[in-house]
Amino acid sequence: MRYVVEGPSMEPAFRAGERLLVDRLAYRRRAPRVGEVVVLRDPERPDRYLLKRIAVAPPMQPAPQRGQYFVLGDNAAVSRDSRAFGPVAREQIVGRVWRRY
Amino acid sequence: MSRPAIRSLTSRALRALDRIAPPRTAHAHCDIPCGIYDPHLAQIAALTVIRMDQLIEALGELPQGASKADADKWHNSFSRYVAVKEEHAELCKREVRVIWGDYFKPEHTEKHKDLHATVWNIMKLASKNRQEVNAQAAQELLAAVHTFAAAFWDTKGVATKKQPSNQAVGGEIVVPA
Repeated sequence: MRYVVEGPSMEPAFRAGERLLVDRLAYRRRAPRVGEVVVLRDPERPDRYLLKRIAVAPPMQPAPQRGQYFVLGDNAAVSRDSRAFGPVAREQIVGRVWRRY
Repeated sequence: MSRPAIRSLTSRALRALDRIAPPRTAHAHCDIPCGIYDPHLAQIAALTVIRMDQLIEALGELPQGASKADADKWHNSFSRYVAVKEEHAELCKREVRVIWGDYFKPEHTEKHKDLHATVWNIMKLASKNRQEVNAQAAQELLAAVHTFAAAFWDTKGVATKKQPSNQAVGGEIVVPA
């Protein structure tokens, strides 16, 4: 899936206007890992998507098991993330950011 | 980016595709919900526009045969009034736009169905007040900002009243009752 970044909360790694390819199949094979940048559904507004980094993942999790993930923006000062809306379920994570284009 | 040569062909194809079917937006928002909004400044800005029209009116015409010093003084005052009118009409737009865009939510506009029309009207009126010296347009701007302010406070369950501005300009402002 193609996405375009909006807003500064993932700077400097990702800047507004950058185009991203998101691998929606990535987490069918395995669970999200700490440090990966993901697109997820906004828990407070399900009609839109957020770009965040996985900060805490459930320990030792087999792929099919569903868990809760703590996501943070890199630019913590200007990010609305799990500090505000709490951990997110695996199903809310759309996919892993694979590359830019 | 570090590998433009490798990236370019795929990248160009994907960007061409973006033009046909735009990509989804991944928000990395500066969404700090500080939650502090107040339509007071927009009303002060609208009152300032009215005041500048009053001062321009009071300034009258440049007297014929005025000395250079007097002409300079007149032009200086006139320029300053126009500059402040420009600035505050724009400030009024900005203040309203921020509250409209950042504070108002769909559930608010369900109750205040004319909100978008009011905001649009404010944008148009503020621009008209920049383009013209027009006391009536300035009053219309203030009235529209009053409507906006009352709607804003209503979404918070706060009743409002109109009270005199108690400024040289006269007029009223909408404040929580």
